Amino acid sequence: MASIDAISRNLMLDSLMAYAKRRIPYDLIRELDAKNEFPADILKEMYDPAILGVHLLMIPEEYGGVSGGSYDIYRICEALARIDLGIATGVFATFLGTDPLNVGGTVEQKEKWLRRIASERLLVAYAATEADAGSDLVNLRTRAEHVVANGRITGYRITGNKQWISNGGVADMYTVLAMAPGGPSWFIVEKDMEGFSPNKHEDKHGIRLSNTAGLSLDNVLVPAANLIGMEEGKGLLQAQAVFGYTRLMVAAFGLGAGSEALEQAVRYSQQRIQAGTPLSEKQGYTHKLIVPNAVRLEAARSYIEETANRLDGGEHGLQTEGSIAKYSASEAGNHAAEDAIQALGGYGYTKDFPVEKIKRDVKITCIYEGTSEIMEMTIYRGRWQEHLKTRGRYYFDMADKMDALHAENPDTGAHASALALRALGAVMEECRVQKLTRHQHVTFKLGKLIAAAEVAACFSRAAAADKYSETVRFDKQGWQAMARIFARETALAAAAEGLALVLGVAENAGTLSDAVNIDAVQAAQKGMLADMDLVALKLKQAFKAK
Amino acid sequence: MNIVVCVKQVPDTTEVKINMETGTLIRAGVPSIINPYDHFALAAALELKKKHNFKVTALSMGPPQAKSVVQMAMALGADEGVLLSDMAFAGSDTWATSYALAKAIKKIGKTDMVFCGMQAIDGDTAQTGPGVAQQLGMAQITFCESVEVDGRRIIARRLIDGGHETVEAKAPVTLTMIMDREYVARYPSFPAVHGSLKKPFHVWSAADIGAEDQYLGLKGSPTQVNKIYPPAQKEKAAMFSGSGQEGARKILEIMRGEHFIE
Repeated sequence: MASIDAISRNLMLDSLMAYAKRRIPYDLIRELDAKNEFPADILKEMYDPAILGVHLLMIPEEYGGVSGGSYDIYRICEALARIDLGIATGVFATFLGTDPLNVGGTVEQKEKWLRRIASERLLVAYAATEADAGSDLVNLRTRAEHVVANGRITGYRITGNKQWISNGGVADMYTVLAMAPGGPSWFIVEKDMEGFSPNKHEDKHGIRLSNTAGLSLDNVLVPAANLIGMEEGKGLLQAQAVFGYTRLMVAAFGLGAGSEALEQAVRYSQQRIQAGTPLSEKQGYTHKLIVPNAVRLEAARSYIEETANRLDGGEHGLQTEGSIAKYSASEAGNHAAEDAIQALGGYGYTKDFPVEKIKRDVKITCIYEGTSEIMEMTIYRGRWQEHLKTRGRYYFDMADKMDALHAENPDTGAHASALALRALGAVMEECRVQKLTRHQHVTFKLGKLIAAAEVAACFSRAAAADKYSETVRFDKQGWQAMARIFARETALAAAAEGLALVLGVAENAGTLSDAVNIDAVQAAQKGMLADMDLVALKLKQAFKAK
Repeated sequence: MNIVVCVKQVPDTTEVKINMETGTLIRAGVPSIINPYDHFALAAALELKKKHNFKVTALSMGPPQAKSVVQMAMALGADEGVLLSDMAFAGSDTWATSYALAKAIKKIGKTDMVFCGMQAIDGDTAQTGPGVAQQLGMAQITFCESVEVDGRRIIARRLIDGGHETVEAKAPVTLTMIMDREYVARYPSFPAVHGSLKKPFHVWSAADIGAEDQYLGLKGSPTQVNKIYPPAQKEKAAMFSGSGQEGARKILEIMRGEHFIE
């Protein structure tokens, strides 16, 4: 997929934010949130090519879109999440619903449907989930039976129920996953087809501006031409092919929502005076509620950006990377939103301030497009294979590269990142030798440690660059301090939690207590407080009280 | 008719702070925007384009990233864009800038109207528009609120002390626009931004426009900035409401509090 140049991308972002400022003020969002109401008029405007045309990002130029790449989509998704995660989800559902077509559609199908989505402002929904088929789509119950005339398949009769479908009650067209005689397949279903009806709009904890509904399909007749790819049985592959970047979009949602909450807390902390000084001057406040969140969010950003750039550079799949990005950013976003409520105290607990809503909204990023626990499993599975394939060298090789980076640039936390990677590699090897991965708990926990160590390494790489992101609001000193903080914490977690994990299951930890090199990990903690002070200062400078 | 609109990229001054030690603007992390007065001037020019099918060229001078404002102008409807970008222009004051812009307008070709914002929100000088007119030997109408064209007649409604004045001129003319209070800045849609990449866009150096070095940059600038500093903060006024009697009582209370009276 082609990418948009930086100037055009930023003009688009400016247009989006200017639209949001004018048309979607917080008072309106708050009202819609209370009423559990989907703002159809706003979505239609956002899809209007004369006003914004945000959905055109996902559509290739030859079908009337603007051919956004993964990086562009990440930036727009982050911005959407800062506006409202419910509205963002409405847009995302169209992106997602368009995906099976983008990935598996024939040229004729793309010509017809992508062009219609582009020009007719169609809201699209992606309908895979069922009562017994969520993370595990193998138990798909929705059936698509052949309709045969003169010995030729002319269509399909689809019957079944879908649930928790974003845009479910409001979409114009649906991409529906159903079990055809040849296996799971995607079909295009239009809203007015006979036998098709959406159920009631769910009353959700958060993202209440996003319409979520079940779908019921009762013998819905769909022309054979609506089978995506014109071949049965490709559905799961088509679904999986896009996880790398669909998960990147949810990662951007976690990042955007979390960053918005954090910024509000930073601005507030400079106004609220207690015991003679603003909260922003108190380490007990900043180093607990502000700095660690900023660090986790920026670490996740660096990983999202690296993965997006790799996808735009032509690498395919990157499922494990997409999962690491989603897991890290959505968990970081949740932490940040939770702490933002705490940071605003009594105000944070009211609906007069947006952080309360952000906290409810952002929870979804740990659930949809694969829960955090599914991410832990996916990340473990992907990297366990690498560990075996390289005979345990995978993370040691990565650590060597970190050492080289540290020799070149000692300010990026690469030394601690190397310690984290080596500790992780040693823990994984011990798990292999003692066959500990037969316990699911061990595998999921490894997934968590893997994600953190890889993000730390990525953040160190990014922190060595002159400008690590075009969006970043603080200077090199600031983000290098963040990279060091994240690397130190990760090294400590990889060593201590990794060791504890093994000790909790096995008879003994063999030589692991030496191999995780806890002495070096302890020594690497030096300078932590000074770095946290620096980050607190940089945040205050970047996000001034209004 | 052919219109050239001059647009300037400025820092969003609502976010700019001054470094008190060095006396310079802290621009890091401050978003750049199109100067709001220029945005309004552009809208006025595009309105005429729509009505009369005129050609509109957007012109800016600045570092390479100032392409952003030219591209934005094209995304909003300008037909063509020109950016003057060259180290030789760096440090130009309003005189040197007017000289360079005028040279560029000559190179662009026959121009009937030049639109400028009244002033830029970063410098607030309001000199560049008139400077361009002078350099080009054009008539100028400043502080315009709206502009109409009737055949070869250009009719501008301009703001004057205590009222308005309607002025008529023949092309070529330079117009500087004030901003309508009601005006909401337009932003281009995603496909409009994407489409603007296909419009002709040129980056010209000093040599390209035949500008002489001695009239450019710091050395071509008669104005030199010695120091930038924020004005001394005035003490905040306290506001009270109520009847005259209550007000008088309040004043007495404050004066007693400050020990002006016993």
